[in-house]
Amino acid sequence: MNNVYINGLGAFLPGNPVSNAEMEDYLGCVFGKPSKYRSASLKQNQIKTRHYALDKQGRSLHSSSGMAAAAVQAAMKNSEISLENIGYLATSATLGDSLVPGLAAHVHAALNIKEIEIANFQSVCASSLMAFKSAYAQLKAGEHNCAAVSGSEFASRHFRPGNYECVDAYKAVGEIPFQADFLRFTLSDGAGAAILETKPNARQLSLKVNWIDIRSYANRFDICMIGGAVKRNQDWNYWSGFGDPIAAAHAGALILIQDFDLMKRMLPVWVSHYLDLIDKGRIIIDEIDYVCSHYSSHGLREEIIVLLKQAGAMIDEDKWFTNLYTKGNTGAASIFIMLEELYHSGKLNKGEKILCHVPESGRCLNGFMLLEVV
Amino acid sequence: MSDPQVQAVMRGLIKVWMDFAVELDTVPLIDKLLRGKFRVEDYQKLLINHRQQVIEGSRWIARAASSVTSDYTDQRSLFLKHAVTEHRDYKMLEANYVSIGGKLEDILHAEKNIGTEALHAFMYQRATDPNPFDLLGAMFIIEGLGQKKAGEWGGLIKKQLSLKDEEVSFLLYHSANDEDHMRQFETILTSGILNIDGMDKKIVKTAKIVARLYRLQLEELGNV
Repeated sequence: MNNVYINGLGAFLPGNPVSNAEMEDYLGCVFGKPSKYRSASLKQNQIKTRHYALDKQGRSLHSSSGMAAAAVQAAMKNSEISLENIGYLATSATLGDSLVPGLAAHVHAALNIKEIEIANFQSVCASSLMAFKSAYAQLKAGEHNCAAVSGSEFASRHFRPGNYECVDAYKAVGEIPFQADFLRFTLSDGAGAAILETKPNARQLSLKVNWIDIRSYANRFDICMIGGAVKRNQDWNYWSGFGDPIAAAHAGALILIQDFDLMKRMLPVWVSHYLDLIDKGRIIIDEIDYVCSHYSSHGLREEIIVLLKQAGAMIDEDKWFTNLYTKGNTGAASIFIMLEELYHSGKLNKGEKILCHVPESGRCLNGFMLLEVV
Repeated sequence: MSDPQVQAVMRGLIKVWMDFAVELDTVPLIDKLLRGKFRVEDYQKLLINHRQQVIEGSRWIARAASSVTSDYTDQRSLFLKHAVTEHRDYKMLEANYVSIGGKLEDILHAEKNIGTEALHAFMYQRATDPNPFDLLGAMFIIEGLGQKKAGEWGGLIKKQLSLKDEEVSFLLYHSANDEDHMRQFETILTSGILNIDGMDKKIVKTAKIVARLYRLQLEELGNV
């Protein structure tokens, strides 16, 4: 079996950083009023700046596939390969550009390279690790020698007022609920990508992929974050079953929402997965130099920290690396954007280990990836 | 707690706890509570079924203390102290039951449900073994419930049924007062009992059994 190395990382963040005060200039005001939950949402997620692929009139300046292709280009430029070396492309996103076909086809087209194998991963944030794992397995098995993996999101276009103002229930009260509005002030746009090869770089540091471990707990949880369905009398009604898309839109089946109480109840299984990896010897706490987690440490309650300390499983806060607060929560793109900044920070030394963590509330999933600087 | 053996036991216990915490949410009565559909009858049912568990709790701890040999007198003292702090808690529970319209004689004469029977049969059997320190696993689960879940449930019940603090005091009091118990737990765990051959694994296994039986007790409310 081949070893697999991340040999280049790239990011594409559209436009200039957007401050908290400017957010509604881009997202617009639903029902013509400033958001009621804006400050509560920002207090909770602590994000200070982010990027949007929209202009202030709400027009799309990019596409998810275009941003992904730009990130792959950037990753390629930072690596020692050329685009034509790529034999496999795995893309990830919460929502792609079209319903059909998958995002990977659009990214391949945007890259304008010869025929290659592609795979499309669509879930929520952890689709990034699914794409990583597929590329890792492909290279390990010797199917390809070089792969590109991307994560891209264009969330803001779904957060414009028109998406909400057609929902009958929201119209009736003249506002949108916290579970929809919170996401407007949490998710933003961007793309990140990695180039993977079966040999390390000759001239610069590589990140060897030691393992990737993903577990779904969908057997235990109801849907927590969903777009494309609405709950009526305890049953989920999918948007495609309303007879016509306009009826689905009126019913609110096209709105992205998240159930926060349910998300909080997922934390135990994520912690349990982590402890299990320690017991299996995959994670050795003393060996970890950096934690890149899509979940911020401030979201961990004190009692969990106490328990983790007692179990010898708490990784010191000064080892946590994140840029969620400055580059925004870009869903599936986040882990790439974090690794890209860490890699180019000049901080990394050979032998150091980076633990990547991407939980996903959609229907409860958790993923870890261990990288070693070589 | 830098001893790797202690840390491994803690990891095992936390994993069992975390799985248990998630599984509890699927128990019909708790699911109902989380859906915001709780009725006062549901709260009565919870209290009436819980009383036996609370009474038996301090009894099996006392039984366990009496099974501790003279090599472990410090640990025996801690077990005894723990039993004392809990042995009158059920009075508060009875008062809560009466305050929401339940009849005192109903709760006084309530029979254990089949889950409670199974749980306590297991506890007493273990408590009779010499030096039954694996019951620390049981304490971790039951104290965890008091410290984390009782407060959460108490808060939801209070809100959904528009109750006063004193009508939910048993659940609320437990979440506020069990922190000392966790400290005692740490003291015993690090006191040398892990030198007993196989005790580390036995503690985690007992936690697993108790978690399953505890859930059974909540699933079988009223089934006597």
